[in-house]
Amino acid sequence: MPGVYFTTTEFLDDAKSAARDRGMPSIRMIALPADKYYRARATHEELQPIASNVFDQMVDDLVRPLTAEEAKPSQIQKQKENTNLTITGTDYQDAYQKVNDLFLESHWADGLPIVPPTPALVKKMLAATTHSPDQVLGLAAPKDGTATVEKIAVNAVMAGAKPEYFPVILAAMDGLLDKHFDLTHVQASTGSFTPVVIVNGPIAKELDFNSGIGMLGHGWRANSTVGRALRLSLLNIGQTWPAVNDMALTGRFEAYTFFTFAEDEAKSPWEPYSVSLGYKPEDSTVTVATSGTPAVLGGGAVAPWTAQGILDTVVARSGSPFFWVHSQTFVLVLHPDCAYELGKMGFTRKSLQEWLYEHTKVPYEKAALATTGFGHDSALKGIQASIDDGRIRADRVQIFKDALKPGGKIPIVQSPDDFHIFVAGGSPGYSLLFSYPGPNWANETKKISGATMTQAGR
Amino acid sequence: MKRHSNWLFGAAFVGASLLLAGTAAAQVSLEVMNPRGEIPPPKTLGISPRGGNLNGKKIVLVDNGKFGADNFLYVIAQIIKQKYPGATVVMEPKPSAQTITDLPKWYPTVKQQGDLFVFGVGD
Repeated sequence: MPGVYFTTTEFLDDAKSAARDRGMPSIRMIALPADKYYRARATHEELQPIASNVFDQMVDDLVRPLTAEEAKPSQIQKQKENTNLTITGTDYQDAYQKVNDLFLESHWADGLPIVPPTPALVKKMLAATTHSPDQVLGLAAPKDGTATVEKIAVNAVMAGAKPEYFPVILAAMDGLLDKHFDLTHVQASTGSFTPVVIVNGPIAKELDFNSGIGMLGHGWRANSTVGRALRLSLLNIGQTWPAVNDMALTGRFEAYTFFTFAEDEAKSPWEPYSVSLGYKPEDSTVTVATSGTPAVLGGGAVAPWTAQGILDTVVARSGSPFFWVHSQTFVLVLHPDCAYELGKMGFTRKSLQEWLYEHTKVPYEKAALATTGFGHDSALKGIQASIDDGRIRADRVQIFKDALKPGGKIPIVQSPDDFHIFVAGGSPGYSLLFSYPGPNWANETKKISGATMTQAGR
Repeated sequence: MKRHSNWLFGAAFVGASLLLAGTAAAQVSLEVMNPRGEIPPPKTLGISPRGGNLNGKKIVLVDNGKFGADNFLYVIAQIIKQKYPGATVVMEPKPSAQTITDLPKWYPTVKQQGDLFVFGVGD
């Protein structure tokens, strides 16, 4: 069916890149001027001159006969990405600088200096796992780059990770590449979504992950370089670049290292998060989730707070934007004092999840006034579509059907388990609410395996 | 003979200097591995053939659900009606913006509704 595709000037490269990725490089596109369109799009009157200016081009694109290349474009060839490069300098410092310049110019680095991934260093990284270098963990969105263990090792070297961290990096990548994890949205959205990476089990202590004061900050090599290895792996294996096909408008929070930390299991009144999922206490795991800006809860060292007050704030902050109930998830990181108080109040992790599930439900009448935030879909229509399309799990469908009527109370997540509760942070501290209102699922936990340099994670 | 020897000595000296300079300029080489993932190339497809003009055609304006797309396509529809009275416009909102799971089922329904399509506004 002949057609034409409208985008805007800021997204033209992205659109062309996506068209090529899907094997249709000839799609005819018209770019509206971004500096005018976004300010004018609320009214027909303001859009009139913009539409008039492109109308003739639109008609021409709809009817103009195809060129030979448009009709039968040359088959896109496989890019060879397995060739080693030799960089020569007058001394090591010069060669090091040239490697860094080349990698950044090629869009293979993140803007900070990288460790040159020499075959010797990559071999050391690979020695930290029993997984074969050729093993494919999956295809990384948006370009479906093949994520082999060796490619991830190359990026881990660049990030400055110690080889003993590598099994953690592999497990986290396994989660990010899981077929149920919407990596395309996380990598390419205009929203500032950022992976959240949380380590559980004995390997966290063995590798000195920070789970206390400063857990999201600098200073701990495990937190920093595991996160950066994932940053570089996603950038290079999925082949993204800001303003080309990574369209996060303001960039990403924790862009270089993501939100990477460990649960403070010793200060939790409950079993470790991983154990609550059914893993053994001796297992080590990585949970990967996604979030926009986290909400900071509580008073820290400067103001009084109560555990109930923090829960009330979670309810207030999570009730909106109410986009997609089939995939919405929350990661609630309670600082140890708050978790202790909640434990004293009688909460278990499970009962706290259920409390949050119940108290964040939205009355039908309120939901009827809301939209999904995207165009013509009302919130209620969106939820009904989630049911109709099978995106609500079979065992939860009736709950939503019952809620979609006057007097009903609609859950904002599929089940209580979609509130993922961890304990970490300082004492005094703040609690954090990471929210993901994305259109598809983006939360996975993977067991760390194959470690050769640590006691845990073997 | 002496002059010849001096010339030979001089040539050898210059040659050695160049060699040393060349060596000094290439003292360290770093072999590095490519960090990028290989991309299986997609099967490349052409776009649909076209020709003629809009008169008598059914044009499906597909609103992708992004804020303002419906307004933009409404204005486009008005201009089509004004300039091509023989054309028919069909407005088709995408079922659920950003939700991609049901698109394979939806695309054929777009095709059934008309001869040409206009999709927007992508970001």
